[in-house]
Amino acid sequence: MKRDVCFILNGEPVKASIEPHVTLLHMLREVFDLTGAKEGCGGGECGACTVLVNNKPMNACLILAVEADGLDILTVEGLSNGLELDELQQTFIDHAALQCGYCTPGMIMSAKALLMKNPTPTEDQVVKAISGNLCRCTGYKKIVEAVMDISNRNLGS
Amino acid sequence: MNGTVKKRKAGVDGVKNFEYYKPKSLEEARELLLKYGEEASILNGGTDLIVRIHDGLSHPKAVIDIKGIEGLSEITYDEVDGLTIGACVTLNQMGENPVLLEKFRVLAEAGHTVGSCQVRNRATMAGNIANASPLADTATPLLALDAMVKVFGEEGETEVSIHDFFVWVRKTCLQVGDIVTGIRIPNYGSIEGIYQKHTRRNEVDLATVCATVIKIDGEVHIALGSVAPTPIRARKTEAFLKGKVLTEEVIEEAIEMVLGEIAPIGDIRASKDYREEIVKVLIRRGLRELIAAM
Ligand SMILES: Cc1cc2nc3c(=O)[nH]c(=O)nc-3n(C[C@H](O)[C@H](O)[C@H](O)COP(=O)(O)OP(=O)(O)OC[C@H]3O[C@@H](n4cnc5c(N)ncnc54)[C@H](O)[C@@H]3O)c2cc1C
Ligand code: FES
Ligand code: FES
Repeated sequence: MKRDVCFILNGEPVKASIEPHVTLLHMLREVFDLTGAKEGCGGGECGACTVLVNNKPMNACLILAVEADGLDILTVEGLSNGLELDELQQTFIDHAALQCGYCTPGMIMSAKALLMKNPTPTEDQVVKAISGNLCRCTGYKKIVEAVMDISNRNLGS
Repeated sequence: MNGTVKKRKAGVDGVKNFEYYKPKSLEEARELLLKYGEEASILNGGTDLIVRIHDGLSHPKAVIDIKGIEGLSEITYDEVDGLTIGACVTLNQMGENPVLLEKFRVLAEAGHTVGSCQVRNRATMAGNIANASPLADTATPLLALDAMVKVFGEEGETEVSIHDFFVWVRKTCLQVGDIVTGIRIPNYGSIEGIYQKHTRRNEVDLATVCATVIKIDGEVHIALGSVAPTPIRARKTEAFLKGKVLTEEVIEEAIEMVLGEIAPIGDIRASKDYREEIVKVLIRRGLRELIAAM
């Protein structure tokens, strides 16, 4: 039986009526057309589906859509202001921290969660924060550099 | 043949539908669990259950989400009862709790080795033990610490020793309708020692072998995971070590005794022989750590 869910999605209150077996990831992609979060493994291993739930990174593939009721959910689409990219998104581009881009929304959300808690993380903390996100293309170096660039900027300001 | 190709649809969306309930009280949850019997599954952090549903290993008719029940999300501490961790406390919440970090560090460290940051923001210790995997990361510290599992069941809330909790691979002593409400660790004077997890890869991997070797108020407690159908305590070795000074000779003798207390198997993660070798290394390192701590 379908159930109603009300939650905050990228800052806006939203509503949906959804079957209990649908994952949060599929609801975001198919009901709300937010295709940033990707399905890589569908089982918590790759982090491509990472979104922030009450500011904490979680695997949207391991959450039922009905569980979203009352929660605050932020996807990569919620970072930019219209066409204006968020600082972290722009830095990923500046550092060429992506190739195919499949892991990128998840990487950015994991890094975002870290920066929200700690604006000036060390390289070690960055590596730990993205250790639940797999990238098959870049070898992680540029991703870490991009996040460290923000950390260094925050340290300087 | 009609020429159709069977393809599993990605996500839980390919599976049979189920009813979802989010009860507000233990009584209401128990009623639902009894109504659906074996066809109900408790949903906590979902990091085991949702994967099992997704892989077609579980087919519940009803999923009972216990996260709406009041009082299950707290960590409390007092000198008489010790530390009580509510069933819905996540592993990352445990890792941020000052009392846990100060007094029961080995447990916080073991919890921190589970999955990834994303997984630990959802996964709970109650789910970790209720799932009853022989390699569950929080099982060996709980065994070594003689933890008590709080269960809401037929007779209301009772406590069962962690030593009676694990019955077999994926089987606990819980009956239909039982709900773990929390896990209690008695208060001790001093706890020294470490949790070790041997994996193939550093992050997001399950233990090939794991071990907790600690000294509680002067007595050595050894617990091992992934070496038998359930996580175990090495009681004979502990008895042998009682009152002994930990010299290198004593440690080597203890290692041989531990090998007699385990029954590892070979599987995709490692062969039986390899597991035994790793057990030796983890016990040696664990006991040496206790010498260093003195
Ligand atoms: C990518 C990934 C990596 C993982 N890595 C590890 C790892 O390194 N080490 C490890 O040990 N595990 C690992 N796991 C398994 C899992 O994350 C843990 O076992 C976790 O602690 C389960 O907790 P949960 O709250 O998510 O349980 P759930 O999935 O909600 O529940 C697990 C089982 O316990 C039952 N249950 C839950 N709560 C209760 C309760 N209060 N009373 C009675 N029954 C209950 C459920 O019905 C279910 O059968 C991993 C999982 C994933 C997806
Ligand atoms: S799709 Fe969710 S972790 Fe891989
Ligand atoms: S850029 Fe291709 S997977 Fe990371």
